[in-house]
Amino acid sequence: MPLFKPKNDLLQGTLALLVLKTLARGPLHGYGITIHIQMVSKDILRVEEGSLYPALHRMEQDGWVSAEWGISENNRRARYYRLTAKGRKQLGEEEKNWERLTQGVAHVLQSA
Amino acid sequence: MSWIARLRGMLRRERLDHDLDEELRSHLEMRAADNLAAGMSPEEARYEAQKRFGNTTLQKEDTRAVDILGWLDEGSRDFRHALRMLQRSPGFTAVAVLTLALGIGANTAIFSVINSVLLHPLPYHDPDNLVMVWENNSQHPNPHNTVSPPNFLDWQSRNTVFSSMAFIFDGRDNLTGNGDPQEVVVQAVSINFFSLLGVDPLIGPGFTPENGQPGHANVVILSYGLWKERFAGDPAIVGKSILLNGRPQTVVGVAPQNFQWFIKDGSLTGARPQMWSSFVFPQSFHDHKQIGRFMTVVARLHPGARHSQAQIQMNAIASRLEQEYPDFDGHWGVNVVPLRQQISGDLRPALLVLFGAVAFVLLIACANVSSLLLARAASREREMAIRTAIGASRWRIARQLLMESLLLALIGGGIGVALAVGGSNAVLAASPRNLLDLRSISMDLRVLAFAVGATLLAGLLFGFLPSYISAHSRISETLKEGGRGSSSANRRAFARNAFVVAQLGLALVLLTGSGLLIRSFVRLIGIDPGFATGHLLTFKVALPPSKYGTDQLCMAFFRQLLARISAVPGVRSASMESFPPLTGLGAATAVHLLSQPPLALSDLPVANVGVVGPDYFATMNIPLRAGRLFNAQELAEEKHVTIINQAFADKYLQGINPLGQKAAIYMKSFAENEIQPSEIIGVVGDVHQSGLDTAPEPTVYWPHPELVMSGMTILVRTSNDPLAMVSRARNEVQQIDPELPVAAVATMDQLLADSLSRSRFTMLLLGIFAAVALVLASVGIYGLIAYNVTQRRQELGIRIALGAQRRDVLRLVLVQGTRLTLLGVAVGVLAALAFSRLLATLLFGVSATDPLTFAGVSALLAFVALLACFIPARSATRVDPIVALRHE
Repeated sequence: MPLFKPKNDLLQGTLALLVLKTLARGPLHGYGITIHIQMVSKDILRVEEGSLYPALHRMEQDGWVSAEWGISENNRRARYYRLTAKGRKQLGEEEKNWERLTQGVAHVLQSA
Repeated sequence: MSWIARLRGMLRRERLDHDLDEELRSHLEMRAADNLAAGMSPEEARYEAQKRFGNTTLQKEDTRAVDILGWLDEGSRDFRHALRMLQRSPGFTAVAVLTLALGIGANTAIFSVINSVLLHPLPYHDPDNLVMVWENNSQHPNPHNTVSPPNFLDWQSRNTVFSSMAFIFDGRDNLTGNGDPQEVVVQAVSINFFSLLGVDPLIGPGFTPENGQPGHANVVILSYGLWKERFAGDPAIVGKSILLNGRPQTVVGVAPQNFQWFIKDGSLTGARPQMWSSFVFPQSFHDHKQIGRFMTVVARLHPGARHSQAQIQMNAIASRLEQEYPDFDGHWGVNVVPLRQQISGDLRPALLVLFGAVAFVLLIACANVSSLLLARAASREREMAIRTAIGASRWRIARQLLMESLLLALIGGGIGVALAVGGSNAVLAASPRNLLDLRSISMDLRVLAFAVGATLLAGLLFGFLPSYISAHSRISETLKEGGRGSSSANRRAFARNAFVVAQLGLALVLLTGSGLLIRSFVRLIGIDPGFATGHLLTFKVALPPSKYGTDQLCMAFFRQLLARISAVPGVRSASMESFPPLTGLGAATAVHLLSQPPLALSDLPVANVGVVGPDYFATMNIPLRAGRLFNAQELAEEKHVTIINQAFADKYLQGINPLGQKAAIYMKSFAENEIQPSEIIGVVGDVHQSGLDTAPEPTVYWPHPELVMSGMTILVRTSNDPLAMVSRARNEVQQIDPELPVAAVATMDQLLADSLSRSRFTMLLLGIFAAVALVLASVGIYGLIAYNVTQRRQELGIRIALGAQRRDVLRLVLVQGTRLTLLGVAVGVLAALAFSRLLATLLFGVSATDPLTFAGVSALLAFVALLACFIPARSATRVDPIVALRHE
């Protein structure tokens, strides 16, 4: 039996892209990542907080991000995630994939 | 994350748990603080944060699961992945596992038999230094001829390679007193017999050196079985006296439960001993003129001495004895045989052949699974390509595929071992009981280690090629071509074709072997034993000399017994013989035909001697070829007449009328001037004395008065089931003498079946393995053709759409199958020619390259293989072009 199950396939794929993109701006803790994505997407995208931490830990294992404890803006201990070189490369890949996907979908929509 | 970090992580798991708690808590607190800032009440803010986050425990577990997964090594991740992949295609998994279970199970079963028979420690101290020492005569080749006492004494005093030598000869004695009279098989042995084997009695002192002094030799050691059955395991048996043939013997020990000593070749009774009595040579045993060859000799090599050294030294001793006693030892040499080889000798070639056969079955099974994996790999090529594209290394992919193979092998091996437990007992049940003396076959550590080894080897064997090809496929090519026509696809197709050819070839080798054995067996059972075996009961009666000390008493007893048995309703006739055919026993000696010049004793013709009762030839249904049978007078008193068999006439009296010839038969004496020659009065048909697979030997028959023997086998020809007559016959014996036991009860049909048992055993098992191989190879070629048809569905659809007929499509598909089949048959015939020679010792009346067998099994294999191709070929003709084209 698989140990964990993705809740939403689409989100699972894009979540990595969104998180990597967010961290490209600089190190951030988990809560900060949800707020950032929500803000930048003008409230369209809401990260499902439940799937965020499994995703972050997996990316950490894959070596895309590294993590360390730090102090947040309002003086709380928080775990900060930082993009690694491997993560940056992965981000490029995922962006390209995403573009291809959206183009594909756009073509389909136009032709229909 | 490096290994070290992961290891450290594992050690600090609690701290990590704590970290995770704190991370999630800080998230909730930050959300709650923001909510508060947005104007919610503190409870609302906390509640909303919690709600958005969902079930904290669940999230924590999900997240921790990710962490734990990371800690576990990648192998276990591969393992889990492999398990999922196998679950996802249950059909494939079932076929692969079953195939492997068959292969591994058959191997383990045969290995467990080999382990028990060939590798198991013998119940003696340092058994590898024990050897049998036989005489053998260059003119009458029997490599394991029994030994004469004077020669034994000379060997013992002249050799320097053995630390000790012991002799054994067995007989049947009557055990009386406390309970029914019982005939027991007793081995008379030298007093050093047990100490040479390094075996101490379970209880009692055993034989001591003083038992070697004349007058102190009346001591016996009981077998464990006899002690338990006859004496109820009496712990105070040692020191007690028992009656053997009416003479008291003192029990000095009981042998350990697992101890036994039975060397079939030298045994005079053909049965396992129940008792050992110490024996000291009387004066007559020192004289070549007074005693023949009848003992079995075992010796222990000096530490460091080798079997070959012993053989060389014994050759030298034998050639000196030849010069010293040319009359007695002319042409006689010595044959030294390691004990282990002696014991397993009969079954060893058969078991090794079977072991080779199951190894072939496993190879075929591996090729089958490998082929299935290749087919699957092709459809998973895109999965692999994508994994490579996102950074998985070749090694990583190969490892993952190998893990799937190993997992398959492990499941198959597990089921295989379970099959083997049942299978080896089935082997035991089918095995010749007169050859294989095992009550059960143990699954010890060695067998398990073998099974595990075979499993892992199989897993690597069938997993290697598919994973190698997958790991070396080019991503770009794969993605472009959609998996078809890529170089890896070509390599796969080639490998699968090669596998099918190899499978068919291997199967043909097994079929050939099995075909040759079947033909041998048919030849064997087609042989006329020379007498009618049906409705014939045999049992043995031995008269104790204490009570039947004179020839007159013996003759009177048997005359009365045969008269009584013949009168029983349902008995058509009854007679007796000293050594009836197919019991593996016999007496042979030198015969001098007086019309021929005298020769040294060792150069004279040799013939079996059979002592017979009235109506013997009629009871056995042995035809008279010339002259006449014994008349009533000759059967009542010594008249110096003999009847010879056809083989004797053909070999020693070619072109001479045998009737009226006189023959000096060296049975009662070795000095010709003491022998009263017998006149040949008749010639009878040949009988296969030692078994159907040995040619009839020259034989002379004497009526009972000519050589009065106290132990005879009674032969009863019945109208109905002979076994129904056993209790009546026993009754008749005990009506005359209530102290007399009846022994070795069997029907002649049973004896015949026993003599064929080794051939039947080998034929049966090899036949089963060959059938399994044929099925597996057919599944192999079926799978390949069916897969190709699926792959070419589109092409076939187009062809049909363009007007191809069913016939054309059928031919298209069958051509490939035919090509592979013919190639497989060709490879198989070549391999079978090389391998069938190994069977030579198991064959009878058939050459190892018998063209009829080769042609027959080739045709059978080709037919079955083409049948297997025909099924997918027919489905190819049913391809609906529209469906095929719309697909993809």
